[in-house]
Amino acid sequence: MVRTGEVPARSIIFMDPPDHRHMRSLLNKAFTPRAIQSQRETVVELAEHYLAKADPDNFDVVQDFSGPFPVEVITRMAGVPEEFRQQVRHWIDKSLHRKPGQIDLDDDNMQANIDSAVYYYGLVQERRADPQDDMISRLIAAEIPDDEGNLRKLDDIEITGFTTLLGGAGAETVTKLVGSAVVEFAKHPEQWQMLLDDRSRIPDAVEELLRYVGPVQYNVRYSLKDVELPSGRVPAHKPVFLMGAAANRDPRAFDDAETFDITRDRTQAQNLGLGYGIHSCLGAALARMESAIALDHLLDFMPRYEVDFAGLQRVNMQNVAGYHHVPVRVLK
Amino acid sequence: MTQKIEVDFGLCESNGVCMGIIGEVFDLDEQDYLHVLQDEVTPENEQQVKEAVRQCPRQAISIKDE
Repeated sequence: MVRTGEVPARSIIFMDPPDHRHMRSLLNKAFTPRAIQSQRETVVELAEHYLAKADPDNFDVVQDFSGPFPVEVITRMAGVPEEFRQQVRHWIDKSLHRKPGQIDLDDDNMQANIDSAVYYYGLVQERRADPQDDMISRLIAAEIPDDEGNLRKLDDIEITGFTTLLGGAGAETVTKLVGSAVVEFAKHPEQWQMLLDDRSRIPDAVEELLRYVGPVQYNVRYSLKDVELPSGRVPAHKPVFLMGAAANRDPRAFDDAETFDITRDRTQAQNLGLGYGIHSCLGAALARMESAIALDHLLDFMPRYEVDFAGLQRVNMQNVAGYHHVPVRVLK
Repeated sequence: MTQKIEVDFGLCESNGVCMGIIGEVFDLDEQDYLHVLQDEVTPENEQQVKEAVRQCPRQAISIKDE
């Protein structure tokens, strides 16, 4: 998109105010820290369900646990029937996969996008005919102001796009964060022990993980005016790569920025793991809750463990970093 | 000249970060609606209010000269 100058699709992540505010306000009340408490039981049940099935001698954190559970939560909120929820994750994986050197979408990426769009489009039709208590039905019922200030409904393409985005954002990220967490704590067992001794440290651990191994590496924005920075000027009307993952290790912002430390002073600077400003992560509170519950249950499941570092496999995806396989042996 | 706290309620999404920093000034009610309990910036609360401005993930809080 940056290379070709192609105008992005009408998706909320590319919108400016006031359109952005209209779209975001359709769903943001469902994601406040208080509102997502209604998902807590679901998340706990799912975490317990997948860990109960896991083999302690041969446990793949991502494949057996952190991959399957977050997608269930977000797709359930969106209104995807149970039998299709895991399929959503496989579409996302296929859609965002990049081969070395690949920039444009390949046939596999396109096919996954088409398959998931066709599926969601059909689901929107079903919900139009028979509304449920879910986000798709809410988006169907919602009205937003158009350019002339008249209220209008969202069309099928907009709802399909919004739902696809929710599924992707809600599934991919916590999956990666929890996988990377297990790897980091294997390198720093004394910090895993700190969590075992005091579970109230879990929220701090989640923040440090977001800073240190937050999956989202960058966002692309477009400058509307000249911006002066210490390192030079960003000219107006240019695409800008915002490397949030690099900023999260900026030694000017954080003491010992390259050190993983769950006890660090969190007021020193804000981590950008979930973004900042009007496009900051809509699901931030849900992501934090899922990650905290995941860690809490992993502490019970594997108080002592070893990662098979030779067996680690990283993902190769559009803009998220993390692991596809994190093989673990739980120590007796 | 006094300084007042302003919240853009169109941006606010009730993350509650501000309340965590200084609950005497910012409060979320049962409906998740943010209330500014005391909108004046004082020497006592100034540092924490500025911290809340900085840490609000939505950039919804500002300080205005009156």
